[in-house]
Amino acid sequence: MTFYEQQVRQLRDAVYPRGELSRQIVAAKQYIDQHFAEELDLNGIARRALISKFHFLRLFKLHYGVTPHRYLTEVRLLEARRLLLKGMPVTEVCVAVGFEGVTSFKGLFKRYWGATPASWKKSNFRDRAAGKV
Amino acid sequence: MVDDQKKALRFYTEVLGFVKKREIPMGEHAWLTVVSAEEQDGVELVLEPMGFAPARVFQKELYDAGIPWTAFQVGDIAAAYERLKGLGVVFKMAPTSMGPTTLAVLDDTCGNNIQIYQVS
Repeated sequence: MTFYEQQVRQLRDAVYPRGELSRQIVAAKQYIDQHFAEELDLNGIARRALISKFHFLRLFKLHYGVTPHRYLTEVRLLEARRLLLKGMPVTEVCVAVGFEGVTSFKGLFKRYWGATPASWKKSNFRDRAAGKV
Repeated sequence: MVDDQKKALRFYTEVLGFVKKREIPMGEHAWLTVVSAEEQDGVELVLEPMGFAPARVFQKELYDAGIPWTAFQVGDIAAAYERLKGLGVVFKMAPTSMGPTTLAVLDDTCGNNIQIYQVS
């Protein structure tokens, strides 16, 4: 066994909970990946994982570095970019990725990507049409 | 850093599945880059020739310790491991789970360990 493999195994045993608990967190993350466009209740996801809400939040962050809520937001915003690049109107994208209000969608989009959905779409859609992307 | 650019290009394209992006002659060596087949306008990986003796010492120490020089994400690490083993690739570390991530380390035949990983 190499030095690196020893370090990996030691770190794993020191950082991550054993067995089933890790699998439950992974399953919860995969549930978000598959159902992000629906109305998701993160408390409900914690219950599905049979973990208390606060323990779930802590373990999710331990595994993925962000809270479940932030992870869900990022998944939705990544999908929003993909749909905008396909030419879908902003309001339709908002609904398609699971945001409830266009205003909050626009605000979050700008905070994450530095431009409103419309201006981001305008520049990137044009670049893609011109073969730059 | 690679000990032989021609050998490295073969390994990174024919075995790992990258696509050659640039090969600009630079005297004895070349500015040689490869990209992901799925994102050919994305980040370029430079197959940089080993041309600085002290770096060779650093590279060898990393190699002997099994420490990867860099890491690439894959969609299905079990499938990648089987495919690469079938092509004769030597693994220093078989797929090993670490929380939500599964890691494996392979020998790129050019003086480096390379990690592949899947986040579940």
